[in-house]
Amino acid sequence: MRFMADQLDIGVGLGHGLRLRGPVMVASGTFGYGFDAPLVDRSALGAIVTKGTTPRPRAGNAPTRIAETPSGMLNAIGLQNPGVEHVAREYAPIWASWEVPVIVNVAGDAIQDYVEVARRLDGVAGVAGLELNISCPNVVNGLQFGLDPRLAAELTMAVRRATELPLIVKLTPNVTDIVAVGRAVEAAGADAVSAINTYVGMAIDVRRRRPMLSRGSGGVSGPAIKPMALQAVWQLAAELSIPVIGIGGITTPSDALEFLLAGAVAVQLGTVNYLRPESTREVLDGIAQYMHQHRFNNLRALPIRGVRAMAHA
Amino acid sequence: MIVAAAQAEVVERSTPMSGATELVVHHPPSASAVQPGQFFQLAVGAPHTILRRPYSAAWADPISGRLGFIFNVVGAGSAWLANLPEGHDVDLLGPLGRGFELDGRDPAIVVAGGLGVAVFPGVVRALVARGRRVTVLLGARSVAQLMRSDRFAGAEVKVATDDGSAGHHGSVVDLLLDQVGGLDIFGCGPTPMLQALMRAARRLDIPLSSIQVALETPMGCGIGTCLGCAAPGRAGGYLLTCQDGPCLRADRIDWDHMTDAFHG
Ligand SMILES: Cc1cc2nc3c(=O)[nH]c(=O)nc-3n(C[C@H](O)[C@H](O)[C@H](O)COP(=O)(O)OP(=O)(O)OC[C@H]3O[C@@H](n4cnc5c(N)ncnc54)[C@H](O)[C@@H]3O)c2cc1C
Ligand SMILES: Cc1cc2nc3c(=O)[nH]c(=O)nc-3n(C[C@H](O)[C@H](O)[C@H](O)COP(=O)(O)O)c2cc1C
Ligand code: FES
Repeated sequence: MRFMADQLDIGVGLGHGLRLRGPVMVASGTFGYGFDAPLVDRSALGAIVTKGTTPRPRAGNAPTRIAETPSGMLNAIGLQNPGVEHVAREYAPIWASWEVPVIVNVAGDAIQDYVEVARRLDGVAGVAGLELNISCPNVVNGLQFGLDPRLAAELTMAVRRATELPLIVKLTPNVTDIVAVGRAVEAAGADAVSAINTYVGMAIDVRRRRPMLSRGSGGVSGPAIKPMALQAVWQLAAELSIPVIGIGGITTPSDALEFLLAGAVAVQLGTVNYLRPESTREVLDGIAQYMHQHRFNNLRALPIRGVRAMAHA
Repeated sequence: MIVAAAQAEVVERSTPMSGATELVVHHPPSASAVQPGQFFQLAVGAPHTILRRPYSAAWADPISGRLGFIFNVVGAGSAWLANLPEGHDVDLLGPLGRGFELDGRDPAIVVAGGLGVAVFPGVVRALVARGRRVTVLLGARSVAQLMRSDRFAGAEVKVATDDGSAGHHGSVVDLLLDQVGGLDIFGCGPTPMLQALMRAARRLDIPLSSIQVALETPMGCGIGTCLGCAAPGRAGGYLLTCQDGPCLRADRIDWDHMTDAFHG
C-alpha cells in the first residue's frame, strides 16, 4: 500500500512554516527521542514528537510507573529526561540529518522553565518546532498551566517571545472547558494546539491493597480514552482557527480518520507504538487508501463541515 | 538486534511443572538471534488488554528454529497464552534487552526462585557448552513446582522447597552457603529472593559485581520508549530494565529501593 501514501498529497501545514509530509506523527513519551525505534519506517512519519524535556535532567518518579487498565494504560513516568542541554548538543545534530521533522515536547514547573528550554532550542538545527506540555498530570504543578486559560495564555506568550520556532500547545482534557483554554492559547500566539494529553486516573491492587502506581494516580491513555479525546477535538476544531492535532487512543486508520473528520489536521499516535511499532505506517497507508477510494485528492478535501452538519440534522 | 515483530507458530504446549506452561514456538530468525537471558514481548488477545507481555526465552535451538517460553498464569495475559492451542500463531517482538555475560573462569552458580527458573534452561546449556562448571540451585514452594533437573544436563542441581517436600527445607539462598571460592552467580526470581541473595552475598563476602541478575519489572514497550520499566540504580537515578537489563550486574541496583510490583 506504500505507493498510495506516496502518490497522494497528504501533506499538512501546522503554521509558522512547519509542514509535514503526512498527517501521522508519534506522540510525546511514546517514541523517546526518535532513536529507539526499531521496525519503524521513519519516512512514514509526519513528525516525531519527543519525550517531555525540561531545563535540567530529571530522574523521574519511583517505580511502579505504569499499569494496564481496561483497553488502556496508566502512566506516571515523572518526566524522566536528560535535560535540554543534552538534547540540544547530542540529539539535535542527528535530527538535523533526518528528513522527518522533530518537534521537542517541553515541560516544566514554572513559566521560566518553558522559556529556558525554548530559548536554548531556538535556532538549533534539527529542532523543527516545540510542543508545550502544559498538561502533564504526573509532576507537581504539571497540570496547573493547562487548567487555567489565563495561566496557559501567559505561558504561551512568554514562550512565543523566547523563540521563533513553531509553537504547538498541548491541552489537557482534565478541565470542564477545553475550548476556553484553546482560545486563550490561540490568542496568545500558539500556532497550533494538540489535544489531548492523558486523563487523570488510577487503579488499586486489591490483592496487596495499595495503588498500582507509586504516585497513586497517573494518566490514562490508549483506546479507552478515544471517544472523549475525539469529542474534545471536535469542539476545539469548531471554535479555533489554528490547526488542531488529534491525539488519544488511535490504533487503526479508521480511528485516525475519525479525528480527521472531526476537524483535526493531523494526528499523533501514542500508546499503540508500544504494541505495534509498525502502526504509524499502517495508519498512514490506511488513510491514503481511504482517500484514494473516496476520491479525496488531499486532506483539505475531507468533508469536515458535512460531518459536522450531520450532528445537527 | 531485534529481528522482528512476527507471527510464530505454537508447535508444542506442555506442563513443565505444576502450574506452569511451556509454549514452544517455531521462528527460526528469533531462535538464531536470541541470546540467553534476552526476552520477547508477546502480544496477547485477552479482552481489554492492550500491552504486550514480556517473557524470557527459556531456551532456543537455532537448528530446529524453535524457542520455548515457560510461565505461570497470574492474570489475563498469561491465561490467554496458556490456552493458545498448537498450530496457532503468537506475535513476538524481539529478542529484546541484554542477556547474561556467559564467559568466565569461576564456577557458575545459578540461583532460581520460583518461576525465575524460566530463564535458565538456555543459560545453563550455554554455560555448559562453554565447558564451565555449573551448579543450579532451584527453589520452589513445593516439590511439584520444581523444574526437572534433566532440563539442566551437564550441571549439578540442588533443590530447596518452602515446605520441605524436597531438598533443603527453606530458601534457595541458603544453598549458597555450601559454595566456596570465587563464584560467578546468576540469579532470577522474585525481588524478595534477590534481596535475600544480596544479603547472603554480603555476609559471604561475595562482591555484588560477581552476581548477574535477570530483573523483572512491569513493562510497557520493551524497547526503551515508555520509561515504564525503571529500577533504582545504585549510582542514583533509574535504570531501564528493558535497556540496561533485564540481565545486569547486581552492584548496579539499589536493592534497598527495589520494589516488588508483583509479589509480597
Ligand atoms: C524481562 C521479563 C521477563 C519475564 N519472563 C518471564 C518468564 O519467563 N516466565 C514468567 O512466568 N514470567 C515472566 N515475566 C513476568 C511476566 O511478564 C508477567 O507475569 C506477565 O506479564 C503477567 O501478565 P498477565 O496479563 O498474566 O498478568 P496481569 O494481569 O498483567 O497481572 C496479574 C498479576 O500478575 C502480576 N504481574 C504483572 N506483571 C508481572 C511480572 N512482570 N512478574 C510477576 N508478576 C507480574 C501483577 O502484579 C498482578 O498481580 C517476565 C517479566 C519481565 C519483565
Ligand atoms: C508512558 C507515557 C509517557 C508520556 N509522556 C508524555 C510527555 O512526556 N509529554 C507529553 O506531552 N505527553 C506524554 N504522554 C501523553 C501522550 O503523548 C498522549 O497525549 C497520550 O498518551 C494519549 O494518546 P494515546 O492514547 O495515543 O497514547 C505520555 C504517554 C504515555 C503513555
Ligand atoms: S519497557 Fe518501555 S522503556 Fe522499558
